[in-house]
Amino acid sequence: MSELPPKTSVRRWLVTTNHKDVGILYTVTALFFLIMGGMLALLIRLQMWEPGAQVLSGIAYNEAVTTHGLIMVFWFLSPFGFGFANYFVPLQIGADDLAFPRLNALSYWMFALSGILMGISYFQGGTLSTGWTMYAPLNVPMYTPSLGSTGAILALAMFVIGITASTVNFLTTIHHSRAEGMGLMDMPLFTWSMLATVYMMLFAFAALLAVALILLSDRILGSIYFSATEGGALLWGHLFWFFGHPEVYIVFFPALGVMLELFQSFSGNRLVGRKWVIIAICLISIQSFLVWTHHMFLTTINLEVKTLMMATSIGISLPFDLVVFSLIYTLIKGRIRFTTPFLFAFGALLLFILGGITGVFLGAIVLDYEFRGTYWVVAHFHYVMFGGATALFGGAYYWFPKMSGKMYDEFLGKVHFVVFFIGFNAVYFSMFLAWETPRRVFDYDPAFQSMHRFGTIGAFVLGLSFFIMFYNFAKSYVSGPDAPDNPWEYTRTAEWAVPSPPPLENWGGRPSYASGKLEFVSEALTTPDDDHDGPAAATDGGHGEDHIESYPYWDKHASHASIWPFALSLATGIFFFGLSGVASSFDITTAETLAGTGITVSNPVYPIFTAIGLVGLIWTAVKWGLEDFYAPPMEIAERWPFEGVEKVKLGMWFFLASDVIVFGAFISAAVFIRVAAGWYTWEPLTDSLPGLINTFVLLTSSFTVILALVYARRKSRAGLIANLVATMLLGFTFLSIKLWEWHHEIYDVGVTLTQNSHGDPVQATIYYVTTGLHGIHVVIGLLIAGFLLVRAWNGAYQEDSRPVEYFGLYWHFVDIVWVILFPLFYLF
Amino acid sequence: MASDSIKLYALVYVALVGLATSKFVFFEFDQFFTYEQAFAGTMGAAALKGALIVGYYQHLKWENRSLTYLMAVALAFALLLMAAATYSIT
Repeated sequence: MSELPPKTSVRRWLVTTNHKDVGILYTVTALFFLIMGGMLALLIRLQMWEPGAQVLSGIAYNEAVTTHGLIMVFWFLSPFGFGFANYFVPLQIGADDLAFPRLNALSYWMFALSGILMGISYFQGGTLSTGWTMYAPLNVPMYTPSLGSTGAILALAMFVIGITASTVNFLTTIHHSRAEGMGLMDMPLFTWSMLATVYMMLFAFAALLAVALILLSDRILGSIYFSATEGGALLWGHLFWFFGHPEVYIVFFPALGVMLELFQSFSGNRLVGRKWVIIAICLISIQSFLVWTHHMFLTTINLEVKTLMMATSIGISLPFDLVVFSLIYTLIKGRIRFTTPFLFAFGALLLFILGGITGVFLGAIVLDYEFRGTYWVVAHFHYVMFGGATALFGGAYYWFPKMSGKMYDEFLGKVHFVVFFIGFNAVYFSMFLAWETPRRVFDYDPAFQSMHRFGTIGAFVLGLSFFIMFYNFAKSYVSGPDAPDNPWEYTRTAEWAVPSPPPLENWGGRPSYASGKLEFVSEALTTPDDDHDGPAAATDGGHGEDHIESYPYWDKHASHASIWPFALSLATGIFFFGLSGVASSFDITTAETLAGTGITVSNPVYPIFTAIGLVGLIWTAVKWGLEDFYAPPMEIAERWPFEGVEKVKLGMWFFLASDVIVFGAFISAAVFIRVAAGWYTWEPLTDSLPGLINTFVLLTSSFTVILALVYARRKSRAGLIANLVATMLLGFTFLSIKLWEWHHEIYDVGVTLTQNSHGDPVQATIYYVTTGLHGIHVVIGLLIAGFLLVRAWNGAYQEDSRPVEYFGLYWHFVDIVWVILFPLFYLF
Repeated sequence: MASDSIKLYALVYVALVGLATSKFVFFEFDQFFTYEQAFAGTMGAAALKGALIVGYYQHLKWENRSLTYLMAVALAFALLLMAAATYSIT
C-alpha cells in the first residue's frame, strides 16, 4: 500500500482507489467519449446532408455508424451514470467507500483502456462496420476481415470484464455497507435505481460476455458458430438481445434515479407513491429479461414466441406508466424551482415519454414489420436512451457543487438547456418525420432531404450545447463562488450533510439512521474484544458478525492507493491488443501428427504483445494478491437480505451468479444449434470413457479442496498443503486427459475445430470451444491454487482460512459446470 | 457455520462418484434404457450432483438462504434463455 498523493499530482489519479476520485475519473472520461462519439455522429449527419453523399466512403460510414453506437452506449451513457454512482451511492447509504476499492479502480481502468483499444482499432486496417448490434454473419471474418474489427470486439470484451467487476462491487456494497437503520426501502431513489441497474447488469452483461467470447473464438481461433447454417445467425440474435433489451434499462435507470432525486429536490416534495415506484423499478428489472425477442420479429422464429413477447413488451410499459405518473404528481403537489438541474430532469421526462410511446409501435408485431429497419427505430431509441440520459446532465449540474466545491453559472446552465433541447428535438424529431428513410443507409429518397438537412443542423446545435456546459464547468471550477454543504433548499440525501467536496474518509462520525433521521455517532475506538459483545452484535438483529473479528482494523487506516488496478488493466489491454492480430500472424501447416505440424510466424509484433500482456497479467495479479491493502467492512451496517455473509464471500457469490449466465449462454448455444441441426442427428464426437475418468478426477479434486479448507480451519499446515498439492495434481491430470483427448480427436479421428468427419462441422466447434472455456477456468483455478500453496507453505491461512474457502467456491463451480458438460458432449 | 466433518464430506464424495457412474451406466447399457429414459436419468443425476456440490462443498446449505435465491435466479435466467431460444426455432 502506498500513500495517496495530492490531487495536483498525476500519480494520484493513477493509484487512487477512493470512490470519489474514481467517480470523477469516470465522469470526465465518459465526457471524453461523448465528444468522440459525438464527432462520429456529426460525420454521420454530414453524410446525410444529401442522398448518397460521399463525405465518408461507404465502409467508413459503416464504421462511423458502428463505433458511434458502441461508444455512446457502452463508453459514454453507462459510465457517465456510473461516475455519479461511484461518487454518491456510498455517500447516500452512509458507507466509507465501495466494498472493494481496488476492484473499483480496476473497473475504471478497464473501461478507460478498453475505450483506447476501441480507438486503436481504427488504425488496424479499419474498425468494425456491422452496426452496434453486430449481427451475424456480418460479424465473422469473412465479411468483416480487418484486424480492427477483432480489436473492437476485444475492446468490448475488456469493457465487459470491467463492468462485471463493477457490478459485483456495487451489489456487495449496497447489500453490505448500509448505515445503521437504513433498510433497503429507506435507500435514496438514486441508489435504488442503481441497485436495480447492477442487478440487471449482473445477468445481462454476462450474456454479452459469453456472446463476445464466442465471437472472438470465431474471429481468432477460426470456429464457426455464427457462420453455421444450423441457426448461427439466429443464435447471435438471441444471445445479443438477451443482453440488449435489459441494456436499454441499464442505460436508462441511472438517469431515472437522477430524475427521481431531482424532482423531489426541486419540487420540495417527497416522491408521491415512493413505495410503488420502487416496486415498479423491481418489476421493470425482471420484465426486462422477458421481452428480448421483440427485437427479432423480422426473423424466422416462431409466431408463438413472438406473440408471447409482444404481450410481455406491452406489459413492461405498465410499471413505467406508474413511474411517470408518480413524477408528474410529485410536481403537481410541490412548488417547482426551475433551476438548471430541474430543467434537464423535466426535459428528460418529456423526451422519454415521447420515446416510450413511439416504442409501443415497435412492440407490436404487425407494426414492427413496417417500422423495423427505418429511421423510426433510430429516432425512438435516441429519445429513450439519450432522452432519458438527458437527466444525467441535470445530475451533473446538481452534483457539480458537491464534487467540485464550486457553484456553476446558473444563466449559462439554462442557456445550455435551451440550446440542448432545441438541438435534440431538431435532430431526432426530424427522424420521425422522415421515418421511411432506411436505417444505416446514407442513400435515401430525395423527398426527405429537407428533413435530413434540418436534422443535421440540429445535430450541430446539439453538439455545440455541450461546449456551453464544458465552459460553464471549467469557468466555475476556476473562479466560481464556493459551494456550501447544501446549496439547495430541499434535499433528502446524505451527501448534502457533508462538506463540498467531502473529505477523503467521507464522515466525521459514524452515520446512523437508527433514530429515524441521519445522525453522526462519535464513538471511541473500540478493541476487538470490546466489539464482540458490543456494537457489531447490535446490528441486523444480532446476526453473527464473526467475520468482523478477522479484520484487525482498530490499529490501521483504510487504504486508498494502489497501482495494481491500473497495472493489471494495462496488462490486459496489451494482451487484448496482441490477441487482435494473433490470428493473422501465424501460418499453421497441418500434418498427420502434432510433431509434423508446422507453425510459421509471419508477423511477430502481435504475438509479442500477447506474450508481454499475458506475463504482465499474471505478474500484476500476483502483486495484487500480495499487496497489503486494507479495506475492512463497516463495523456496524444493515445487510439485509445477506446478513451474516462476509463481504468477500458475498462478492464471490455475485460473481458466480454472473458466471452461471456465461456458461448458461455457452450451453444454450450448444443446445440451440443442436436442435436447429436436428437433435437426434448428432452422436457424441468422443468416447465417453475419458470424459467419465475426468469427471472422477474433478470430483476428487473438489473433495481435496474441501479437505484443504477443513485442515486450514483446524490449523493443520501439513493437511492444508497436502490437499492443495493433491488438488493441483488432479487439476493437471484433468488437463492432461483433456489434451490427450483433443490430440486423439484431431490426429487420430480427424475432428478439428472446423472439420467433422462424423457430421456437422459446427458440432466440433461447439465441443472444442465449450470444453476449452471450461479448461481455461481450470487453468485459472490452478494458478490461484498455486498462489495459495506458496502462501500456505509460508505459513498463511492458519489464522484466516477464508481465502481457501473463496477459492473452493470457484473450484466447485468449475466442477459443477463439468457435471453438465460431461453428458452434453460425451453421452447425449 | 459450515460443517468441518470429513466423514460428511467423504459421504458426499461417494454419492457424487456413484451419481457420475450412473450417468455412464444409463448410456452404456442401452438394452435396459431408451434414449429418453437415459437422458432423463442423466439430467436427474446431474441435478442431484450439482445440488450436492453446491449444498455441501460450497456450503450453501449453511449459508443465508438469500444466496440460494440469488443462484436460483441466475439458473432460472440461463434456463429461460435456453428454453425460449430453442423453442423459438421449433
